[in-house]
Amino acid sequence: MSARDEILGRLRKQNGEASLPAPWRSRRQFTDLAARFSEALTAVKGEVRRAADLDGALEEVAQILEEIKATRGIVDDDPLLDKIDLAKRWPDVNWFTVGRNEGDLRQFAAAADVGISIAEAALAETGSVVVSSGPGRSRFTSLLPPVHLALVPTSRLTPDIFTWIAGHDRQFPSSLTLISGPSKTADIEQTMAIGVHGPGRFVAILYES
Amino acid sequence: MTSPCSTNMAQFRSRATIAIEDIQVQSALDGATGRFHISHDKALAEMPDSAEMRDHLKAIRSATLARLGEHLENFERAAVAAGSQVHWATDGTEANKIITKLAQERGIDLVAKTKSMATEEIRLNQAFLEAGIEPVETDLGEWIIQLVEEPPYHIIAPAIHKTRGQVAEMFSQVTGQDLPADDIPRLTAVARQLLREKFFAASMGVTGANIGVAETGSIVLVTNEGNAEMVTSLPPIHVVVMGIEKIAPTWDEAAPWLALLARSATGQPLSIYTTVITGPGRVNEHEGPEEVHIVLVDNQRSSYVGTTYEEVLQCIRCGACLNICPVYREAGGHAYGSPYSGPIGAVISPLLFGLKNYEALPQASTLCGACLDVCPVRIDLPRMLLELRADEAEENISPRSLQFIEGAAAYALGGERLLGWSSGALRLLQKPFVKDGQLNLPKRLNPLGKRQPPALAKKPFRQLWEEEEKNWD
Repeated sequence: MSARDEILGRLRKQNGEASLPAPWRSRRQFTDLAARFSEALTAVKGEVRRAADLDGALEEVAQILEEIKATRGIVDDDPLLDKIDLAKRWPDVNWFTVGRNEGDLRQFAAAADVGISIAEAALAETGSVVVSSGPGRSRFTSLLPPVHLALVPTSRLTPDIFTWIAGHDRQFPSSLTLISGPSKTADIEQTMAIGVHGPGRFVAILYES
Repeated sequence: MTSPCSTNMAQFRSRATIAIEDIQVQSALDGATGRFHISHDKALAEMPDSAEMRDHLKAIRSATLARLGEHLENFERAAVAAGSQVHWATDGTEANKIITKLAQERGIDLVAKTKSMATEEIRLNQAFLEAGIEPVETDLGEWIIQLVEEPPYHIIAPAIHKTRGQVAEMFSQVTGQDLPADDIPRLTAVARQLLREKFFAASMGVTGANIGVAETGSIVLVTNEGNAEMVTSLPPIHVVVMGIEKIAPTWDEAAPWLALLARSATGQPLSIYTTVITGPGRVNEHEGPEEVHIVLVDNQRSSYVGTTYEEVLQCIRCGACLNICPVYREAGGHAYGSPYSGPIGAVISPLLFGLKNYEALPQASTLCGACLDVCPVRIDLPRMLLELRADEAEENISPRSLQFIEGAAAYALGGERLLGWSSGALRLLQKPFVKDGQLNLPKRLNPLGKRQPPALAKKPFRQLWEEEEKNWD
């Protein structure tokens, strides 16, 4: 008998009463989703910038690129950025656009100063940004560079994990990640250290849309 | 049934004594468990409805286990549809065989791992080493204890008992640099650099699974460091080791699980990274492993479904019960002699690895009930500790001396007259040894080792009560 048959056979004999409770309904009521998002993310040493529109958000990006003296950047390809010519706007930065550039994505990302992703959703309660793998989007954008900037249109804010799941079509790419702050550890003497394996700096740029 | 170790009374006592006499370990234990617990309380208090949500999660876990077989089949179907390969293992030996074979067939000699209690349970690292394959732990705490070849000290914080000085010494040895002990950011940076090389060099990534979602065949992993993203994205093959009970039927059940997991563990609303892996990288994607293998490990679990111990399978491994337990907080994680320590470990270790091997653990509890209070799934650990004690008595596992003492106590406490007579006799006997209300037994007569028990009070409580009662009239 295979292990599978053995295990399932044993379990089948013990089948009991089973009715799952109805899905949990979120009772969270935030009057201002963006404010709650900012508060939650800032509390865990994430950074939040606010802008009135996409142009304003790109101004924030410009400031950070300047601040960290970025020379290599990896950016996810997104319809939101279609009309923006990164190379023209920031000629000092060597850009790699996922899905458009030839070359070794992983090696480029590993040596990049900054990764820019576009959030597909953001959870206000926990200050979380949702990014995923897919055409034009790389897992490495938000993972390998020391700085990760996530552009978050306010229209993509949802109160919490329950409202996010309720609105999700349950079609998952191979990788989806909820990022709720910069990479951190407290494994040595319970002392917080930032930037263990992922980015040590995580900036969500919220803009009205 | 392979047992990682064993823990009889003498072993528990001697390991606990080592921890209790180590001031550094005691202060680390107090600090870490205290901080975790305070953060836990704050995180739950911030929610509008944490008590109801815990009831809800309890109902979910209980209903899921009642139909676990069906959910596992659904999980398998969806996982395969997403391109994963699913393996079943009745025990750890089988699981290890499956995994090492996967590695050997592909000529893999370096494996990057995330921290996983399931792989600790089946001792996968040892199996890798025996097969000539090098496993590297990439969670900072887990890497530290791997370097010193010790089992984890805490379910979610494996190296809490190590000081920064000890870590600096270890890392200095590994890197050949002279690292200062007072610079934790520097130590972290050293680990980042060294382990990043390993992520890129490894040709297999191994993770556990916090949740397996049957609806989509997805694996959910939570970390704060981001090492799960590395392990599941860089190596060409990803192997998941998952206990069969870690199933959520749909995302509706996974959501409250996630909402309570990190809050109960560290007091974070969510861990920094919550990663959902659904099969290998797709054709329209730019990276991801070519193969994902999910190894479903039973290791005794299915034999407890439908029994008095089924409830223990509802555990989500948050470690909250460790942080509140008066025994764990003094005795430390190594006293239990199992990767699972604390109250949950005291129940689950005998069940998974044999009551005979872990006879001391059901006794290593005051039955104060704090673990039940704090558990996000409201698992009645005190009830199961008592059941295990009853099993020990029935199966004649408890040591003779304990059986004798318990028998004598049951007899003496059984009747009023006998109790009065025997406590009177003990009062007389203790007289030469009492000093300031404390017993000072000579070493040979003291069953508690170095600790001195309090003396019996001069007047028994019942006598005091009677005297008080007279005053009321």
